[in-house]
Amino acid sequence: MEVGARMRRILLTLADSIIPESPRTPDTLEEVTRHALVSLRYMPRSSARMFLWGMRLLNWAPLWRLRGLRPLTALPAAVARRHLVALTQSRWLPIRLLMYGPVGLFMSSYFDQDFAHREIKYAPVPFVADRIELRRRWIEGHEPGSDDEVHHPAALAP
Amino acid sequence: MTILAHRDYRQVETHEAEVAVIGTGAGGAVVGTELAEAGRDVLFVEEGGYHPTSSFNPYLTESLPRLFRDAGGTIIMGRPPIPYAEGRCVGGGTVVNGGMTWRPPEQVLMQWARLTGQPDLGPKAMEPVFDRVEQRIHAKPQHPSSIGEDSRLLERGARRLGWRYEPNRRAQDRCVGSNQCLTGCPTGAKQSTLVSYLPRALSRGARCLTEVRANRLWIENGRCVGVLGSGINPRTREEDVEVRVRAKAVVVACGAIQTPFLLLRHRLGRPSRQLGKNFLCHPNTKVLAIYPHDIYAWQGVSQGGQIREFRDEGILMAENAVPPGTAAAQIPFLGDEALELMKRYNAMAMTGVLVEDSHAGSVSRCLGAPLAKYSITPYDHERFLRGVRYLATLHFEMGAEKVILPFSNFHVANDVDDLAEIERTQRSRSTIELFTVHMMGTCRMGSDPRDSVVNMSGELWDLPGCYVADASLFPTAVGVNPQVTIMAMATLVAQRLRLPN
Ligand SMILES: Cc1cc2nc3c(=O)[nH]c(=O)nc-3n(C[C@H](O)[C@H](O)[C@H](O)COP(=O)(O)OP(=O)(O)OC[C@H]3O[C@@H](n4cnc5c(N)ncnc54)[C@H](O)[C@@H]3O)c2cc1C
Ligand code: SF4
Repeated sequence: MEVGARMRRILLTLADSIIPESPRTPDTLEEVTRHALVSLRYMPRSSARMFLWGMRLLNWAPLWRLRGLRPLTALPAAVARRHLVALTQSRWLPIRLLMYGPVGLFMSSYFDQDFAHREIKYAPVPFVADRIELRRRWIEGHEPGSDDEVHHPAALAP
Repeated sequence: MTILAHRDYRQVETHEAEVAVIGTGAGGAVVGTELAEAGRDVLFVEEGGYHPTSSFNPYLTESLPRLFRDAGGTIIMGRPPIPYAEGRCVGGGTVVNGGMTWRPPEQVLMQWARLTGQPDLGPKAMEPVFDRVEQRIHAKPQHPSSIGEDSRLLERGARRLGWRYEPNRRAQDRCVGSNQCLTGCPTGAKQSTLVSYLPRALSRGARCLTEVRANRLWIENGRCVGVLGSGINPRTREEDVEVRVRAKAVVVACGAIQTPFLLLRHRLGRPSRQLGKNFLCHPNTKVLAIYPHDIYAWQGVSQGGQIREFRDEGILMAENAVPPGTAAAQIPFLGDEALELMKRYNAMAMTGVLVEDSHAGSVSRCLGAPLAKYSITPYDHERFLRGVRYLATLHFEMGAEKVILPFSNFHVANDVDDLAEIERTQRSRSTIELFTVHMMGTCRMGSDPRDSVVNMSGELWDLPGCYVADASLFPTAVGVNPQVTIMAMATLVAQRLRLPN
């Protein structure tokens, strides 16, 4: 979805305040913002527009929270983040609702990157490759044995 | 195989078939395949793209837009608002679902038989239909090699507390527990309609128009004679080619939200005014437990079984490991605080509580998009709180360090005593965070036009030639994972569909 420079800045600011500060690569912010825009393309136009209006509203959160006159885009990232954290914990449901979209989009995109996978020690690709191979052998007639079971004995320690 | 895509459509094109089926999910694929196997010339119309097994990978950023409606970002309005997900690809929801196959409880089918006055919806009469479906999707228990530690942990916890835990039967053929069901099964084991029903239909000459959104029904002289839609350019996402399908009968199987959305465009369902009403969504809520040791819940099938001790009260509990991107979107923290918790991803047991609907919402049209409304009742709320307490208790019993709760005003329980706080803090239905993937019931089937939308053949009372065959047919909630019930109902519709001479 095409958006103007101002909206791009808003999205970058929101992404910057929502995702972890590190680890990041030089293009992490661009990447999660690009993904958000790709996702918007897959929505009905009216929903995408509503989402973008919601982001404009979030940008002016300091004003309507009566905590300042400047939008998030004009604030240091740490301050912007404090505003957004407060919104996710708001007593008011519509305000929390406003945060669902950006948190969902940016977090899922951030934790989808390989460097983030490494950080949390999640490695689906080799595991899946291993399992595809296991199924191939099974189809050839070698039923999986106990060695093929998923076991992490510490998990059931207590 | 005849699978057409956007590049194959000319500016205006009319395709002809005996039966046009809109949607290729649990309902559409089954009804179309049964008809194709009975010798009918079937044409599927599917909004999503065709993505074969070899294209599936674990990356959400790729999979969500390709396989899910609105890239997974859809919401039901109400108290509380409920985000929902539905498949949008060839195979529909069955491509991205967990593959669990539970028949509806006997009481539900007995109630359906009573409500419709038709004994052939009763448990005895439906048994051969369920048998047929389950045989075609290989519904069976999991092989031990596919079970992960999170499933074992939940099973052990349930036994320790004296609760009934039942292993899942799933639609799978040699599932190896890769835990990628949500982003499309990369091994081909999950028997989504993409690999079970649809290949049968295509081998019998059925055709499938993919990347075509059905926008209207083609109605002549009060009879449905086709579908008017447009091809979606996969690059720009614009609907830029007109596509028409002329058929003797049209089956609408777009799912419980999109089906009434399409039919309401024509102001149908007038005899009963029930079209879009009776919307059920079997909501669920998440309970994430952090253990002192790694569990690797992402290895092994996403759900090995369910705690069914409280089924009679409409409460089901189960594990459901999701990828880190999905988990991170659900935790109540941002920035580095979120990362700190996500560093414990391998030690997380991701579990959930499902509560059977006790009342219904509605689906209508608003600004060119569907508007789904649904609020939980105080009774549902109470059952959710009870379910969360049960699950959290189980986790502490099994040694969890802390439990992340699904409440916007009470995030973390550090021990079992903290759970007493649930009572005190959860007075409002607005503070619980819910999610759903089981939408049903907006075009209820019946034998009386005054209280149903379609007759017992699935045909609309006020539009001959137009049938419904998806989750919207359900007369009441099923209280279990719905896909086999949808497939069974679609089989019935195929058996009963009559073409004009
Ligand atoms: C993540 C997830 C996990 C789930 N897990 C389970 C489970 O383990 N067990 C279980 O029983 N159920 C599960 N479900 C639910 C189950 O998959 C659905 O209930 C079922 O697929 C619904 O079948 P349906 O035919 O009603 O609709 P769908 O399967 O949603 O199919 C509808 C199809 O119609 C297409 N369509 C919609 N509108 C149009 C239009 N205007 N023009 C053209 N095409 C259109 C869509 O693209 C889609 O392909 C899950 C669902 C999800 C999303
Ligand atoms: S667990 Fe893996 S192999 Fe099994 S059905 Fe799901 S995606 Fe396929």
